[in-house]
Amino acid sequence: MATPPIFEVNKLRAHYLTRFGQTIQAVDGVSFALKEGEILGIAGESGCGKTTLVSACMGLYIPPLHLTSGDVKVDGQSIIGMDVERNRKDVLGRLVSMIPQGALNSLNPTRKVKDLATDMILSHDDKADKKEITGRLRERFEKIGLDANLVLDSYPIQLPAGMKQRVVIGISTLLNPRVVIADEPTSALDVTTQKAVIRMLFDLMDAQIIGSMLFITHELPLLRHVSSRIAVMYAGEFVELGTTEQVIFDSRQPYTKALMGSMLSAEPGQKSKKPVAIEGAPPNLGHKIKGCRFAERCPEARPDCKENQQLIRIVKEREVRCQYAE
Amino acid sequence: MKLFKNLLKQPSFIFGASLFLLTLLLALLGPLVFHLDTKTRVGLAYMPPSAKAWLGTDHLGLDMFSLLIQGLRSSLYVGFVAGTIATVVGTAVGVYGGYKGGLIDDLLTVLTNLFLVIPSLIVLILISSSLEEGRSLTLIALLIGATTWTWSARAVRAQASSIRARDHVALARINGYGTAGIVALHILPYLLSYIFMVFIIQTATGILTEASMSLLGLGPYDSISLGKILNEAKTNEALTDGAWWAFMPAMVLITATVLALYVLNTSLEGVFNPRLRK
Amino acid sequence: MLKNHPVLKHILGRAAWYLVTFLVAVTINFFLPRMGKANPVDTIMAKVSAGLDTKSANAVEEQYLKEFDLVQVDAHGKVVRGRDGKALKTSLGSQFVNYLGMSLRGDLGGSILQHPKRVSEIIKGAIPWTLALQLPTIVFGWLIGNVLGALAAYKRGVFDKLFYPGALLMSAIPAFCFGILLVYWFAIKREWFPAVGGYDEGLTPALSIPFLSSAAYYYVLPFLSVFLLVVGGQAIGMRSMCIYELGTDYVKYAKLLGVKENKILYYMFRNAMLPQLTGLAVSLGTMVGGALIAEIIFSYPGLGMTILTAIQSNDYPVITGCCLLVTTTVLIANFTADLLIGLLDPRIRAVQGGK
Repeated sequence: MATPPIFEVNKLRAHYLTRFGQTIQAVDGVSFALKEGEILGIAGESGCGKTTLVSACMGLYIPPLHLTSGDVKVDGQSIIGMDVERNRKDVLGRLVSMIPQGALNSLNPTRKVKDLATDMILSHDDKADKKEITGRLRERFEKIGLDANLVLDSYPIQLPAGMKQRVVIGISTLLNPRVVIADEPTSALDVTTQKAVIRMLFDLMDAQIIGSMLFITHELPLLRHVSSRIAVMYAGEFVELGTTEQVIFDSRQPYTKALMGSMLSAEPGQKSKKPVAIEGAPPNLGHKIKGCRFAERCPEARPDCKENQQLIRIVKEREVRCQYAE
Repeated sequence: MKLFKNLLKQPSFIFGASLFLLTLLLALLGPLVFHLDTKTRVGLAYMPPSAKAWLGTDHLGLDMFSLLIQGLRSSLYVGFVAGTIATVVGTAVGVYGGYKGGLIDDLLTVLTNLFLVIPSLIVLILISSSLEEGRSLTLIALLIGATTWTWSARAVRAQASSIRARDHVALARINGYGTAGIVALHILPYLLSYIFMVFIIQTATGILTEASMSLLGLGPYDSISLGKILNEAKTNEALTDGAWWAFMPAMVLITATVLALYVLNTSLEGVFNPRLRK
Repeated sequence: MLKNHPVLKHILGRAAWYLVTFLVAVTINFFLPRMGKANPVDTIMAKVSAGLDTKSANAVEEQYLKEFDLVQVDAHGKVVRGRDGKALKTSLGSQFVNYLGMSLRGDLGGSILQHPKRVSEIIKGAIPWTLALQLPTIVFGWLIGNVLGALAAYKRGVFDKLFYPGALLMSAIPAFCFGILLVYWFAIKREWFPAVGGYDEGLTPALSIPFLSSAAYYYVLPFLSVFLLVVGGQAIGMRSMCIYELGTDYVKYAKLLGVKENKILYYMFRNAMLPQLTGLAVSLGTMVGGALIAEIIFSYPGLGMTILTAIQSNDYPVITGCCLLVTTTVLIANFTADLLIGLLDPRIRAVQGGK
């Protein structure tokens, strides 16, 4: 009996219901599976649905966001469709945890680090002993490379930016989540801090404190350095999913090619290539889209691309959403 | 234009603006449309509304309706003048301190806070009660403006401080612009909408403060204002006698005007400060 | 030593500032009234000197001048005279110093109208009434208003839609207007409550049940006229603050961590309270002023009426005495709010501690 994947997302669809009754299908049929110890990078322009995907994967559906259909499983158990309280207690922070952007406003300014961490632990296990918790926090923070004496009794304002982000990582992973979703965790950080943050994430994975990771970013070097596989998202769908090498250097789907082209040109050594910006804008997801969503902007589009719905095909061992890709 | 369209979408703006416009029209056009006479007795004291006196008479037998319109004009006048003075002084202090920063800012802030904490009504009482000459509407407006500017100073200073840090201001400084130039060209334009909102609040404050002072007996000597109407109603026991026409209309006018201004301000805030938009 | 006690440093700093403010207030209180008009002795003399011959009149006048510290007095209490035999006037400077000393001892001078009563005597009777009216309304109004505002922000929906316009109305009506409205509706049209006074005329103030229950009955309308407005004003402000807090990144993150709802509400409330407390410091003076005017509408036997009567009769010592008292109280209340902010906002403590 094969072990189920640590994280399995199956044809997940989620939509926003606006005040005027309009349905915006922000995530429209995303599927993938993670193995233990794996890091999947997710790339895409803003507005492609990455942020919605995060909430949807965690089972956190706060109106106007609603689950349309599909399933998300952690270790074979579904985490979708439970009531809000069960989702809060059993899933959020415990099975699936999020590391927010490095924008560093994620910590409550009037709460000491140890108090916030304690709040989090007690919210999942209200019988825990406070004294014992402090001991646990100390141990854990030391283990992951944070000076517990300095950090635990501090207020966020007393900590430098890089340390704050590492504290956030520490808190997000307190309960050893099976899946960690890192949403641009290094944006707005300087290069040295970025390296420290990535290092920390790797160490956490090696120590098996984190089971697996979804790493969302728009920075190519990071994507390449961190992920073993990459998924490219466009207009609510995955358009290509393959290994890092495949997706970055041998992309098959036109959007992926364009995206990599626009990102690659910023790489050193690639300065000879002219930057290729992708013309046009993503489609409005407020109404049903016929045919390929990228057809409007696709340089390789053919007349019937706009007519036929594009399904995932396997092209050279990767998943590609394009009927003409090869 | 787009801003104006956004404003019109807000029900609070429509409500506030139209209510205030109504009172303004009443004050400005009243004397032209209606035959007003605040000097001739038209009946006995505290007579109820009749065909001759639409809102009855006051304790001297004068026509209440005329007194009311006249009072509204005075109150609005004091409100505007006091509001203007307070806004101008407050903005000047706030922008100067906010822009200059450092010691000047600290000194001005201390000064502002000092007069912010000491109740302005108290200061007004102390000044007015000792005045020998008659208190005219303009003098009262001046005094109110001179004691209520602290609020706008504080509000404007915070805004000016944040604008100071912007790039275009640094550029102007490098290019050799003096303080006056920078303030006029690079700071004030961004503050205009804010200053306008401040002015609205200060005007409302002016109207209210005048009414409060009149109720204390420190109102204008020779003119009639809405506050003074209330004061006389109280002193002559119209309140307890049930002569509602002697105080209700005046009260309604004060409340309506002030409410209109506050609601107007809230609606403007909704448009200018997107943070509060739902 | 102070470096290790950031909280103490903060408190002492604020205390020093308030002391300076107090001195400024006393100075204003002293100089403003004296900037214009007749001196109090002339007013008294006008009443008292009828029928007296010049010599006696002068003697009486001198008595009063001594009393009001307008002429210099030697160690034995006798008037100091200059070369021309006339009494030497006290300089404005020394008058001020004496005034300061007297005020700090609680002696606010002598009334003109009710001479020889002392100002403190006159005010003493009014203070409990004003205190009883303003303290509960401002304190409870502030607390309840903030709680309701937080609720409206959190619940939204029907509660908010009904609550918001009402609270907005309450926050915009001046206290005395609302007072007039209440008196008209509930005391004159429907005689459910009394229109004027603090207690039934036939009773004498005493700590007895009949008196206290009468006072309570007369308390209702004046209380409501101020209380409801404070609640409205605070609710509107707190509602905006809470809406803002609920949209912050840290609330989003806490939710994603699975932190309990109640805890998140606590975060929202605690963080929104801080600007509200700061706002309190600013609006306290206005609230107290508004409440005093409201007292006048009800002829409530508090400081409002005392000031009114004093103004009507030009009894300057009483006016200035009341003003000084009110200002001092507002300063003390502000200082307390400041201390609370210092204690509740860890950012202040942390910043003061020096990084």
